[in-house]
Amino acid sequence: MPWQTQDFAGNTAPMRLRESPLGLALRRVLRKRSSRVAFFVLGVILLMGLLAPLIAPYDPAAQPDIVFLKSLPPSFAHPFGTDPYSRDVLSRVIYGARLSLMIGVLATIVSLTFGVAYGAIAGYAGGALDAVMMRVLDAFLSIPRLLLLIGVLVAWPRYSVGALVLFLGLTGWFGLSRIVRGQVLALKHAEFVTAAQALGASRRRILWRHLLPNLVSPIVVAATLGVAHVIVLEAGLAYLGIGVPSPSASWGNIIYDGADQPATLWWMSLFPGLFMVLTVMTLNILAEALSEAHERR
Amino acid sequence: MTTPLLSIRDLRTWFYTESGVARAVDGVSFDIGAGETLGLVGESGSGKSVTALSILRLIQPPGRIESGSVIEFDGKDIVTLGDAEIRNIRGNRISMIFQEPMSALNPVFTVGDQVAEVARVHAGVSRKEAWDRAVEMLALTGIPDAESRAKQYPHQLSGGMRQRVLIAMALMMKPALVIADEPTTALDVTIQAQILDLLVDLQKKIGTSILMITHDLGVIAETASRVIVMYAGEVVEQAEVDSLFAKPHHPYTEGLMHSMPHIGHDQERLNVIPGTVPAPTEWPSGCRFRERCPYSWDRCETEHPPLYQIGEDHVSRCHLAIEPERRNHPHPPVVVEAGVAAA
Amino acid sequence: MLRYIAQRLAQAAVIVAIVATITFALIHLAPGDPFTAVMDNPNVSETVRQTLRAQYGFDRPLPEQFVKYVNALAHGELGWSFSHERPVREVLATALPNTLLLMIVALVGSFALGILIALIQVARRGSATDHALSGVSLLFISMPDFWLALLTLLTFAYWLPLFPVGGTIDPVMHEYWGFGHRVLDRLWHLVLPALTLTALASASVARYQRAALLDVLPADYIRTARLKGLTEREILRRHALRNALLPIITMIGLSFPALLTGTFFVEKIFSWQGMGYAVVNAIDTRDYQLVMGGVIIGSIMVTLGSLLADLLYALADPRLRR
Repeated sequence: MPWQTQDFAGNTAPMRLRESPLGLALRRVLRKRSSRVAFFVLGVILLMGLLAPLIAPYDPAAQPDIVFLKSLPPSFAHPFGTDPYSRDVLSRVIYGARLSLMIGVLATIVSLTFGVAYGAIAGYAGGALDAVMMRVLDAFLSIPRLLLLIGVLVAWPRYSVGALVLFLGLTGWFGLSRIVRGQVLALKHAEFVTAAQALGASRRRILWRHLLPNLVSPIVVAATLGVAHVIVLEAGLAYLGIGVPSPSASWGNIIYDGADQPATLWWMSLFPGLFMVLTVMTLNILAEALSEAHERR
Repeated sequence: MTTPLLSIRDLRTWFYTESGVARAVDGVSFDIGAGETLGLVGESGSGKSVTALSILRLIQPPGRIESGSVIEFDGKDIVTLGDAEIRNIRGNRISMIFQEPMSALNPVFTVGDQVAEVARVHAGVSRKEAWDRAVEMLALTGIPDAESRAKQYPHQLSGGMRQRVLIAMALMMKPALVIADEPTTALDVTIQAQILDLLVDLQKKIGTSILMITHDLGVIAETASRVIVMYAGEVVEQAEVDSLFAKPHHPYTEGLMHSMPHIGHDQERLNVIPGTVPAPTEWPSGCRFRERCPYSWDRCETEHPPLYQIGEDHVSRCHLAIEPERRNHPHPPVVVEAGVAAA
Repeated sequence: MLRYIAQRLAQAAVIVAIVATITFALIHLAPGDPFTAVMDNPNVSETVRQTLRAQYGFDRPLPEQFVKYVNALAHGELGWSFSHERPVREVLATALPNTLLLMIVALVGSFALGILIALIQVARRGSATDHALSGVSLLFISMPDFWLALLTLLTFAYWLPLFPVGGTIDPVMHEYWGFGHRVLDRLWHLVLPALTLTALASASVARYQRAALLDVLPADYIRTARLKGLTEREILRRHALRNALLPIITMIGLSFPALLTGTFFVEKIFSWQGMGYAVVNAIDTRDYQLVMGGVIIGSIMVTLGSLLADLLYALADPRLRR
């Protein structure tokens, strides 16, 4: 009888080599035109910051002629105008890219380190310690970041850029630590952990090996968004008078210098702001594309 | 048969995907008469669900009903109807019941509201009137204490009850045709029988036709009067229920019948049709079943078989109709021989 | 349900307690004594100094100071603002209603506008309108709050003098007008700040709501609705939206910090006499007590907002009502 007890005939596809999830994600991101444009623009701005000493037409701190050259609207000689101290705004904006981006990146590194550590400890420890740590986290999340920073910075009469970076970093790790904690918790209870343990591997080693790959993508997304947030936040702090100490040129500082007469000194608000918006937009586009690419796995 | 209620002629529904054009339904034709229960059998990938969705024009891009397909109903062609007209048919003249009662109801509205909505949309009655009709219908589907149940939310009802709600929804406007797509697959075995009985009962009361889509031959045996077997986007056999079970002609139908385990019959292993359904983007040449068929010969590879008339109301898409002696020479199907199958 | 409310209230209380601890730590970690500005100020009266000394217990060991601090907070005491020469409590109490007005208007406005934009985008997904609106949303969420406020001020108050340059009311004429005119005056001053805040907040709402709607659309019950013969618009508005609103309620709670921050900047730029305006000026004058008072009140507002959002969610989702 033709239908009697046939062996199961199934197709087996050959095992495909798995590529790193980050590499795959990046490739998927670059496939979108908006991401490529964003990458390009961001690259230009980064380059601008890196090559600032070479491309800035004037010394950003120089105050050549405080009587005749101050507060000039945009012209050929000064495409972005000059500020009340006769400094060239274009040069300051170029150097501002350097400072703002640097602050953004460094502060984010601090946030990432703290966030991953805090989340990993909470998730790994579990129990009461985890509960307490999470409640403390909730409390920090209840204080708007700007307020927290104001509360800290107003108390210090003078602080360095480094201290500012530190404070910015220490106030931006909350969201990421939640994600990390979630991952650690999920992994702790995953079946393959018990299986690997049965084979003699230590719990810590297993978690480390399996934790990182799963975290790379959320960390990269958080980092991208983090830099964007810090740039905006620093500008906001500068506008309130507690940003990067003068006379350093950050985008926020430039706006602050022209804040007394926003109408007459409109170029001091417009240009730094435009660059900020551009930078933040590209970072947002990239972060979104990255998290989409990660989800579609 | 007198003028059929629904007449499908050469339906082709194709999906334009990145990996090619998937011809999920590739030239299907059949009729449904008034008051009859037509069974549509096939495994996943046969195109039976897509056929059902095509009838109500629920195919979304990248899928498309190809031109040349005709679905005649109420003297009009569903394929070319305008949006407003097709909406008038949905839920009103033709309705559908799905497989997943758990997720088919909106979790934020009461059950009664959702059933009443059908009446509000199609009968234009007041909220009170629609609600009353809904409660009536719910009671008719055997839900105890329908008045208070109607005020509950879907998550408060069991799977069987939810399916009854969906049946009530489908029958609210006393449609001419109800399409039931695997209505009992997701339910417990004991509930399955109840739901099937309910459908048959309601059909008698209301006089609607049912298109019963399933992969379960047992359900067909219980409810249908005529059966269509689908494979790889085509109709491969069509017959009265008794004829089909007594003398299946197409090797696929034969295989299906033999894979049903029998109680009381000692078996060590389940009978299985070797191989799997081919991908809809690449139907094989000639007969689409040939690679899994134990009788195939060279004609099957070169000539795509038409629907041969076997008996009075029995057709089969198999060359065995013209070379029946080949049935005496079975051989291991191509899929097993080619070694593509892992033993 | 009641148990849930009680739970959330307890949680909120714990959070506020922790916030108080954090602020206390901040006050004492800073170099120098933040109270010296007040204590050494010749303008501050002796009675005030006595009160403060009693309330906060300077020169006492730290734990004792902490207890006194918490005690003071519990009684609503937030210290003394030397720049206003009044208790912080008073300064903030008069300023708070203005802030609340602005925030509530912006909250309601941004959700209404954001949901509307999301609906339009989803109804025409993939079209040029969809892409354009996505681009606009992206632009607005990338803007620093104060920058947009500045631009709005420049455009609509200076270059096109349609609206007042700032303040909550007309500084000169307001008292002399009748009730109706006074209401109009307030509204007229409210427009620009509220508009700015709303524009900024709507962008995030629109993005989230659009994603939530797209998440809901493939659901089985949407297919059921289509089967009933409903139009696409009815399906979107009645079935999809109702489900997609649930995650948005969560978003309300999460958006409070950003909304509060935005309000601070907007208040400063438009000279809107709210809490943000008071705090920002306190930064300039280094009136630390007032700043900290603002931080505490702000945190409490955020906590309450999050609590309300959670309660709202529990009410809205019938699956949680048991």
